[in-house]
Amino acid sequence: MKKIIYSLFLLSIISSCEVIEGPYMTGNGGGVDTNSSQYVKNILIEDFTGHLCQNCPDAARELEAIHDLYGSQIIGLALHVGSTFARPYPLSQPKFTYDFRTKWGEELDGFFNISDAGLPKGMINRIDYPGDHRKNKGQWLASVQQELDKEVVFGLNINSSFDGNNSIIDISTDALKDISGDYKLVVCLTENEITNWQKDGVIEDENYIHNHVLRSLITSAWGDDVSLSTNISNGESYTHNYSVNLADLENFNIDYSNNTLFQGNGESGGWNQNNISILAYIYDNSNYEILQVEYASLATN
Amino acid sequence: MKNISLGFILFFLSINIFAQNNGEIHGDFDLNMQSYIEDATINAVAADEIIRNNSFLNIIFTKNNFSAGLRYESYLNALLDYDDDFKGNGIPYRFATYSIEGLEVTAGNFYEQFGSGLIFRSYEEKGLGIDNAMDGIRLKYKLLKGISLKTFIGKSRTYFTYADGIFRGIDGEIDLNETLELQSKTRYIFGGSFISRYQQRNNPVFELPQNVGLYAGRLNIINGGWNYYGEYAYKINDPVNSIQEDAVNYASGNAFTSSLTFSKRGFGITGEIHRADNMLLLSDRDRIGKAYIMNYIPTLSKPHAYTLLALYPCATQAMGELGVQLDIFYKIKKGSLLGGKYGTKLNLNFSRINGLNNGNSFKNDLTNHEPILISFKGEELYFADINLEVNKKVNKRIRYNFVIANQTYNKDFLEGKTPGEYGVINSTIGVLDLSYKIKKGHTLRMEVQTLIAKQLETASKKEEGDWVMALAEYTISPNWFFTIQDMYNYGNDDESKRLHYININFGFLKGANRFSIGYGKKREGIFCVGGVCKLVPSSNGLNLNITSSF
Amino acid sequence: MKQLSIILIATFLNVGTIFSQERSLPNIDVKTLDGATFNIQDLENENNPIVISFWATWCKPCKKELNNIAEIYEDWQDETGVKVVAISIDDTRSMSKVAPYVNSSDWEYEIYLDSNSDLKRALGVSSVPHTFLINSEGKIVWQHKGYIDGDEDELYEQIQAISK
Repeated sequence: MKKIIYSLFLLSIISSCEVIEGPYMTGNGGGVDTNSSQYVKNILIEDFTGHLCQNCPDAARELEAIHDLYGSQIIGLALHVGSTFARPYPLSQPKFTYDFRTKWGEELDGFFNISDAGLPKGMINRIDYPGDHRKNKGQWLASVQQELDKEVVFGLNINSSFDGNNSIIDISTDALKDISGDYKLVVCLTENEITNWQKDGVIEDENYIHNHVLRSLITSAWGDDVSLSTNISNGESYTHNYSVNLADLENFNIDYSNNTLFQGNGESGGWNQNNISILAYIYDNSNYEILQVEYASLATN
Repeated sequence: MKNISLGFILFFLSINIFAQNNGEIHGDFDLNMQSYIEDATINAVAADEIIRNNSFLNIIFTKNNFSAGLRYESYLNALLDYDDDFKGNGIPYRFATYSIEGLEVTAGNFYEQFGSGLIFRSYEEKGLGIDNAMDGIRLKYKLLKGISLKTFIGKSRTYFTYADGIFRGIDGEIDLNETLELQSKTRYIFGGSFISRYQQRNNPVFELPQNVGLYAGRLNIINGGWNYYGEYAYKINDPVNSIQEDAVNYASGNAFTSSLTFSKRGFGITGEIHRADNMLLLSDRDRIGKAYIMNYIPTLSKPHAYTLLALYPCATQAMGELGVQLDIFYKIKKGSLLGGKYGTKLNLNFSRINGLNNGNSFKNDLTNHEPILISFKGEELYFADINLEVNKKVNKRIRYNFVIANQTYNKDFLEGKTPGEYGVINSTIGVLDLSYKIKKGHTLRMEVQTLIAKQLETASKKEEGDWVMALAEYTISPNWFFTIQDMYNYGNDDESKRLHYININFGFLKGANRFSIGYGKKREGIFCVGGVCKLVPSSNGLNLNITSSF
Repeated sequence: MKQLSIILIATFLNVGTIFSQERSLPNIDVKTLDGATFNIQDLENENNPIVISFWATWCKPCKKELNNIAEIYEDWQDETGVKVVAISIDDTRSMSKVAPYVNSSDWEYEIYLDSNSDLKRALGVSSVPHTFLINSEGKIVWQHKGYIDGDEDELYEQIQAISK
């Protein structure tokens, strides 16, 4: 009798092995669902990185590959954090002298405890907080797929104009179902195509192109209330307006690097205003999960 | 209140009855507490909590052929050298097992190793903060005389949760002499194992195997003082869940280990060789870190007990390495010229570990690389060590241990730095460990160690340089010990970094209880056991350790 | 108050009972240096005391303890018939060094290998060296953690006490 039970156990185990023969790329692709409602659920991948982190470009490339697969639903944000990987070298050195760090990047890194455990690490819509919100790049694809299956709760529209001195940002939020809770809106500015040093595997790349780098937060790191009431009905709409002066924001970062950041050297300026974009997201204050994110170019003239 | 006291009485009565019906309850307890204060000179950060602690309590109930137990662990918060995912309290380990007529059944958590661990090992190593216990069902069965089978199915533990992959395994071993009742002087033992991991993934671009299988076969031949052990392991394709073409590797993995030992009175010799290629088994294919490693390929180097000999330890490269090791043990006879009155023991050890030819196996639509089987010359050296240990009792009062070693450590590769940053470090180390018996039960032991390090000229950063260490330990049998030690980095090029790491330690042992208190500075370093390493941050503070068994 | 005292009395009575128990050897298999499997419950010494000592080739105090006992082992055996069983917890990394080390040290002990620490866990051993003393009924009656030069004298006193 024992021998029968045993052999059954054995059989169930041995029948489990899959060897896959090439070619390996199935070319199925992810596909983007563009037909249904006006809004789709966008996914924010926060890529915590640093120019001294040699494994980080692999993570940035994974983010790009996921973006290429799923299209504009994937929005990336690169936060350069921590003194181990993002601190700049002294100005007397020929390389790695730029300070990509920001006040808000350090604050988010400290709260979510990301760089302490090593980089690269990321958050996908800040899911699985606390306990499992830090995701290494091998987990990003599966987390993104999991998020794409969720229903879209808010719709975000970003519009931008220029009044001669400042850029004006108008954000309208549409609720797509009845929900209740405490929701916050965070608005950031990011810059694309910054060419500067980056350690990449075994080489040091002078001409590495840094994309969607966090430059500034217009709101605080914890955002503004989306709605004044906790009960939100389907169809309600909220607007938020902001006025930003890029030169002021740039100077703030330079001062912050000089005066506050560890070994900061003030090399945080030189922004190219044509490459600046607005990134806005709504998160649920009870578990920090990001429910919607949107991205648009900033008007600067 | 009445119900509570009734409940208590019933509970204790039942334990009493249980205990008196030849049921037993035993356990052990461990508490490790450390205080962290800020010390800028050694880069030690203060902990917000000031004190951190790791503790656990094991309890086992046994009665005849049944036993059950659990372990309560508490990390409030975990010591800084543990992963900070060890947070909070819980009972992460509990089991029940019974055996009847040669069949042993375990439900709950268990540890298991197949063969030498090449394809599977679930174990705990508290010093490293590793505990990947399985949670599931395990069966062990003695089929016939000399044939034993074990099989299990379960998930592996990571911190206070379980990793995604489901493991199924089976292992069989046959002791030919017992089964066939051979009268041969030579003993033959064969074994085979199979492991499969199931983890669901939906990759839109690449077809991923949901079930990854590993096979291994082993052979052990023993004849008198000769002992040969060989094992070969194979893993089918196990690519990561990525959509970047150059990150997805469909190559199979393989590893082998082979050792030949000969020993007789007064002499022993061991030679070992092992090779691993793409042989890392993770409990979750997407994750990284030692908490997810499910197999064990120990580093082929001598585990050193003295601090400076272990300053630059070697971490196993399960993805690709080739290693050899030779050990010779010899006791010079007592009464001879060199042996002295009591004889002298010698241990010569040599080990060398290098990389595979152009890296590990890699296969996908773009590349197909398979490194050569055995290749030493011209391959990147990871670690080499040659050392001689002499152990001698001079007279009734004095005995000493003397070690001289030369180690080569590829810091850039083993610590994941950019090539050219530190280069390869060659160090010559000498240790003298002398104990002097003052009177009955009172012993004074002194250790002096020195390390002289050389770095290749082309490195862009300077390594720490030379070290010296001295230690004095006074012990009073059977209860007391007191130790004071200092590690001094006198050879550091940067004068401000020529620091003393002083530590004092005081303890009391009685029977199964041990208490010890220590205070001092600890150097930032790497602590390895078996080739798995953890980073220990520098610290300054008080350390309290209490262990007990009942 | 009365109930509290009932609880307290019950607790003390029972703690005493539980903690004063002798311990039996668990039903765990270890391996001999010849590769054979051996169940620790099968240890026997003709009703004489048995000492079980957990050690490893990388543990200096363990080797010191077993080497110190080796020098007087013959006298111990003559007087009390005690048998010392040394259980090595060396795992695959250093397991192959056990036989050469033991032989070149001239140890006369029974040596067993517990390479995945199954026996070590079952006996609640958290660090080595850890030594147990087993009486003629096969029960563990005394245990000791760690080793300080001279501890073998205390061990011998315990052996003598139970060998009468």
